[in-house]
Formats: sequence, C-alpha cells, structure tokens
Amino acid sequence: MASATVPKHGKTELRRDVSIWGSYMWGYADVGADIYVALGLVMAYAQGAASLVFALAGIVYIMIGLAYTELSSAYPVAGGGPYFTLRGLGDFWGFVGGSALLLDYTIDIALFATASAGYLNFFMPYIFGQGIESFAISFGPFHNVNPVWCLETLFIIGLLILVNIKGIKESSFLNSIIGAVDLLAEGSIIIFGFLFAWKPELLAHQWNTQFPSLHNFMYGSSLAIISFVGLESISQAAQETKRPASVIPRTSLILIFTVFIFAVSFSTLGLGILPWQTFAEHMGDPVATLAHTIPYIGLIAGPLAAILGATILFISSNTGVMGASRLTYSLSQFGIISPWFHSVHPKFHTPVRTIVIFSMIAVIQTVLSFLTSSAIDTLGNMYAFGATLGYTLVFISLIKLRFSDPYTPRPYKMPVNLKLDYKGRKVGFPVLGVIGMLGVATILFEVVLTHTIGRIAGPSWVILCFVYYVWYRKKAGLPVFKSIKHDWESEQIEVLTSAEEYNLLEQYKLALAERDKKRKEIK
Amino acid sequence: MQPHVTFLGAVLASLFAISIGGLLWWMLHPPAQIQPAVAKARYAVGAFKRILVPTSGVPYSEKGIELACRLGAEQKAEIVLTYVLEIPRTLPLNAPIPEVETQANEALERGKEIVELHHLVPILRLERAREAGEGIVKVAKDNEVDVIVLGIHPTWHGSQNIWGKTTDIVLRKAPCEVIIDKLPE
Repeated sequence: MASATVPKHGKTELRRDVSIWGSYMWGYADVGADIYVALGLVMAYAQGAASLVFALAGIVYIMIGLAYTELSSAYPVAGGGPYFTLRGLGDFWGFVGGSALLLDYTIDIALFATASAGYLNFFMPYIFGQGIESFAISFGPFHNVNPVWCLETLFIIGLLILVNIKGIKESSFLNSIIGAVDLLAEGSIIIFGFLFAWKPELLAHQWNTQFPSLHNFMYGSSLAIISFVGLESISQAAQETKRPASVIPRTSLILIFTVFIFAVSFSTLGLGILPWQTFAEHMGDPVATLAHTIPYIGLIAGPLAAILGATILFISSNTGVMGASRLTYSLSQFGIISPWFHSVHPKFHTPVRTIVIFSMIAVIQTVLSFLTSSAIDTLGNMYAFGATLGYTLVFISLIKLRFSDPYTPRPYKMPVNLKLDYKGRKVGFPVLGVIGMLGVATILFEVVLTHTIGRIAGPSWVILCFVYYVWYRKKAGLPVFKSIKHDWESEQIEVLTSAEEYNLLEQYKLALAERDKKRKEIK
Repeated sequence: MQPHVTFLGAVLASLFAISIGGLLWWMLHPPAQIQPAVAKARYAVGAFKRILVPTSGVPYSEKGIELACRLGAEQKAEIVLTYVLEIPRTLPLNAPIPEVETQANEALERGKEIVELHHLVPILRLERAREAGEGIVKVAKDNEVDVIVLGIHPTWHGSQNIWGKTTDIVLRKAPCEVIIDKLPE
C-alpha cells in the first residue's frame, strides 16, 4: 500500500429525507423504465424465446441484485458499484469500475432520451398522419437514418443539460408519484392483458416455430440484461435515505423481484398477444403498442403507456446526468479523478463541468448511433458492455470483502455461504456470489462475442479513461496501480453514525474491539 | 380487439397481482428503529464472549450456571466454570484433599452438563486458594473473562456484610463486570 494520502475535501452531509417508498421509487423510476426500451429490442432478437431470455437474464440479475443489496446495506454511501470495487480491490479497479459505470451513465442519457422520444412518436400518426419510420433516409454508406428522431433526442438532452445546470432538483416526491402511477399502469396492462387478451396457443406457436438461432439467442440474452440496469440508483441515494442499512435491503430486494416479475410477465404477455415481429417493428414504443391491443383499456392504455413511457424514460435519462455527476464527485473524493470535475457554477451552484462534459459525450453517442440502422440497438450494445463489466467487478469485490472486511456488519447477506476458517475467523464464502459472477462474466463474454459495436467502443472507452487516470495520478503524485491509504474504519463509523444505524454501529465497534483484543493476544 | 379469456390467463393475472401486492406489503413494514441507548445496552450484553461462573455444587450456584448460559447463548459465549478449593493456611497450597477434590470435580461435571445442553463451550478450572474470592478473581484474570456470574447463598446470617466474604472480595477486586444472583430467603 502506498503511503501517499488523498487530499481531504470539505464533506457536505446530504440530508436524509428519502423514505422507504421514496427509496423504492428512486430505483423503480430507473430500472422500471428499462422494460420500455428492452421489450422491443430483446423481442427483435430472442423472437419466440423472449420470455426464456428475460428469465435467464433475470436470474443473473437477481444474483446481481442480491450482491448489491448486501454491499449497499453494509456500506450505505453514495458511491455505488465503483465504491464497493474501490474498497474491495483498491484504487485501480475502482477506477475501472468507475469508468464502466460512467460509460453506462452517458449511454443512459442517450439511450433513454432516444427511447423517450420514441414513445412521444407514438402520437405522430394521429397528429401528422404518418409514423416516425417515414422520415428515415439513406445516404452514402448510411441506411435507415432518422434525422427527425435524432433531433428530438438531441432536444431532450439539451433540455436535460439546461434543467440540471439551473439546478432544478429532481424531487423525490415527484419521482414517487410518477413511479407509483407507472407501477399501477404497468400492473393494469399485465392483469388486463392476461385476463382478456392473452392466447397461450400463440405463445406456444411462437416458441415452437420462431425459436432464434444460437447467435440471436446470445445477443438477445445479453441485451436482456439492460432491462435490469439501474440498481445503482438505490445505492447512489443511500446517503440521503433514512436508516439506509435497514431500508435498502428491503427496497433493493423488492425492486429486484418486482422488476423481474414485470420483465418476464411483459414478454410472456407480449408473445401471447402479438407476433414478435410487431415488437421489432415498434422498437421505439413496444409497451404502448402492446397496451393499445388490450380490450376494454386499450384505447386509453395505449396513449397512457406512451405518455408514461416518455415521462419515466425522461426521468431515467436524467438519472444518467445526475448519476455521472454524483459518481465523478465520489471518484474525485477518493483521488481517482481530479477534483476539477466537481467545481460548481458560481451562480447556480451546480457541477456544470460534469453536466456539460458527460451530456456532450451522450450527444456524440446519440449522433453516431443514429448513423447506424438502429440507434436503440447500437446504444443497447454499449450499455450492456459497461453494465456487465461493472457487475463482474462488484461480484469479485463482494467475495474479497467477505475476507478482507469481515468486521463490517452486513444487515443482509447473500444466501448460500460456505463456512471457511480464515485467519482464525469463520468467514462465509458466498457460493451464489461466485455463480452470479460466472453468470455476469458469461453475459460479458456474449457481449464481446456478439456485439460488434460494443466490443470495440466499450474497451476503447475504458482505455481512454485509463490514459486520463494515468495522467492525473502521475500529475498528483499518486501511484497508478497501487492504492492510496484510506481510513475505512473511521469512515465506516462516521457513515453508520450519520445514518443513525446505532445497532450496526455498536456491532461494528464490538467486532473491531474483538479483533484488536485478538491481535494483542497474538503479540 | 375481441376479449379472449382463458383459465391460464386468469391464473397468471392473479399470480402477478398477488406476488406484486405481497412484495410491496412486506417492503412497507420494516422493523422499528432502535435508539442509540437501546443499541448500546443490547450490545453491551452481546459483548460477553467469556463468562466465568464459580460453582460450589449447590443449587444456587448451578442456577448461576444456567443464567450464564442464557446470557451467553446468543453470542455463543465460552463458559468458564471454576471450583475454588479453599486450602487452610495450616496446609501447603498443593496439599491433596481427595474427598473435596472429588466433590469439586463432580460439581464441575454437573456444570459442564448444563453448559453443553445449551451447545456452548465449557472451560473447567479447578483452582486452589486460601480464600475462595481470591481464587475466583485469579481465574477471571487468567482467562480474561468479560463477566462473572455469581450465584450466592440465599440466606443472610446477620453478619455485617450482606454478601458474605467471597462476594465482597470478588466485587472489590474483579477485573470485569460482576452479576450477582441471590435467591430469596
């Protein structure tokens, strides 16, 4: 471990006003939005096996969720995955995890802004008499380029930049209301759909006759993981959540299972109502298309799903802007990137540099993706790379932290553990953690194997960030591959005290006292 | 679109509604928050990882063993059982007293049985001392115990010291917490 220490910055304590429902909705507004994008995308490749693909990716996602639940309840700070990686594997891997997540946040801005515009385009035939597809053009080597949709997306990103620079706070209350309405609407679509429109024979027919090729199955399953991305939001809001160590395990667990149930239900319902080709054709607004076909509620549910989809995807896109700001702030606090990133605007008091830089990266990604035949597909490609890389590192950190930091109380532990003796202490080796890690690594492998753009753009992004990391660490006189000395114990005590998790605080102090006593005995 | 109702569809719709409703209900009912003082008190007892119980083989001291086991059950504490042989000053400290030693070993074995019923680890110590109190304090120090649980005689013989001499020494000299269990007369 290097002897250099990270420069201390003034810490501003975030007010804890996010309740249990608020915490759940914070995550749901992010993860719940994914199905609005993923349904059409996955159907286009997984075809008749879409439900199976969602279920398989969902099982991996459940394990990812359980890992996040354990870590974010044990370390209720606003760093999310990269923070866990930093604690478990050190500064360098923390940086790699951070760069993967930053890629995802920029894609998040671009992808969800594109999808939000896609749902608004649901109304285009009713207003202009023609669908958005009719604006697609081809020029030179580029085919099916849609400049109207691209401009709509850029307008949304521009709006997000302005909103965030001016510092209009995303209200937890507003999130809760929109999230609750969306939950109710999605639930109603599924219940009414199964009750009045679902044909099991159509599902069976598509399963039997439209099963995808192995390549498409792998591609579809690697894309399905994007319908579950966003658990970070709960971790990112941990520092503002009341009693985070008690609340986060509950909200995370419920978020994992509700999103899983929604994803599997939507795909099963979809294949029992419409042929998968319909979803592939309506990649921009698959949920609204599905809702529109349901008897009794279709006339209202279609447009309502389109409005809700556009709104919740807009919020989700905003999560990308906010997430990038929060993440760069957290990374700079630990000396991973320069504090230059979190300087605030003198008038609006917002991190203007981060907002502009990462939103502009999203703008570039948007323009480039619209030059391909399917912008949503291209963006989804890269989204899957960042997410799976980050998740793989989180799993490795979870396993490492069980051994290197057994003292931090874990209000929730991943189930199925092997008891091992390690340095005179019983340590629970997380079997499910290893299975989850292999599952995510398999999806990462699928991404590299099948995503022609993701396998080039993703690693290129990480390499670009690495060049910056080396430059900054050298300039700041900090080691590149070694870690700075962090006082994790004092920080953990501070975090648990500020979170008012007195039960865990006493447990932690007791565990440290016992450890010190044992060390003394050995000496 | 014409409605198309199937039994399987109805089952799936119900399953969906019940599972989502149930999950949300569970989420919204978290355990109550613990106050700092309550947490401190709770974990102060949880910190007893090695508990010493002196025994003399009589019912009140065996009740002390049971009490210690229950105190240490949650945190799987080690229970150190000690029987102090009080050697008269007229004899050397290591003088054999077979009858009393047999009685002591029997008392320790009974205590061990109580401890094992609770699936805890018993540590047996037969100690020789001039004063029982001094012997208990020595065992406490040697074994670095966190607390001593002392079951004492239920009758008060009218001496000035309500506790008796042994208890008095333990209270004055013990290096750790002391819990006294006195049965009613």
